Amino acid sequence: MRPMRSMFHTHRHNVPSLNVASMPDLIFTVLFFFMIVTHMRSDEVKVRLQVPEGSEVKKLANKAAVVNIYIGRQGDDWLVQLNDDIVKPEEIPARIEQIRATMSPELVEHLTVSFRADRHTPMGIIQDVKQALQQSYALRINYSATEIK
Amino acid sequence: MFRKRYRQQIPELNTTSTADISFMLLIFFLVTSSMDTDKGLMRQMAPPPMEHEQPMDINKDLVMNVSLDAHDQLTLDGKTVTFAQLTEEVRTMASINPTGHVVAIQADREATYEAYFRMQDAVVSAYNSLRQQYAQEHYGKAYQRCNAEERTAINDRYPQRISEGLRVGDGTSGMNPIEKGGQP
Repeated sequence: MRPMRSMFHTHRHNVPSLNVASMPDLIFTVLFFFMIVTHMRSDEVKVRLQVPEGSEVKKLANKAAVVNIYIGRQGDDWLVQLNDDIVKPEEIPARIEQIRATMSPELVEHLTVSFRADRHTPMGIIQDVKQALQQSYALRINYSATEIK
Repeated sequence: MFRKRYRQQIPELNTTSTADISFMLLIFFLVTSSMDTDKGLMRQMAPPPMEHEQPMDINKDLVMNVSLDAHDQLTLDGKTVTFAQLTEEVRTMASINPTGHVVAIQADREATYEAYFRMQDAVVSAYNSLRQQYAQEHYGKAYQRCNAEERTAINDRYPQRISEGLRVGDGTSGMNPIEKGGQP
């Protein structure tokens, strides 16, 4: 028979502490994953715009060969921004040529111009830009939009 | 001799907060990075018209004149239509004469981009539904699951024949050759 003392004595088990030494490593792995998969938008968009919505949109492949054209409002004016700078539609062919010169020949073939234009942009501006692109033989274009399911 | 007895243990660095710091970095990256994948409607424009180029002769019956006026009103061959009706009409026309018809798009300079985009979207959706149907009937799978060869066959069966009349400088409306459909 056990001594009386130990019958009422509750053993106090210490909960073993969790080893969290590897947690920072885990989180760093997730962090690096995010740093690698996300791309930082290099252009600073200087115009205010909201792209339209469409149901037939497809993913834009080959990001390296994409030239972005942003069309939107700045104050009351409608402005066109090519990659990083505000341009006039007449200057676009020269810009495209400059961009072509810096690209590798394989990329030049796949050169795509992506229109990120505001919903309320008058078509006149878009048509001017399109005509400028047509003249510089940048014929693959993409109307950027958000997808509606 | 006695030194051994007094050897001090190097105190462990307290790394509990490293997790918090890296969490903060992680959240910072999650918030600042743009996860948006660029999506859009691919189009292929026609090359600039050559001088003295003869406009192509196309049977008037096969041309669908889609136009957008300054008030974003959509008309098809003079009749006011909705975007859904436009899709239906293009679908019907393209299924009857897949390689002969032309959808001629015209937009007023005052029309908004959104209306124009929805018009393009409506036309493309007509072609996509036809291609989807063809893929199901002939290959028994969705268009997206077809391989490159099958897709080319389908695209040749139902080409996107969209022509865009850009207004030429002197105000006359020049009809450009067919604008080919974008790579789906």
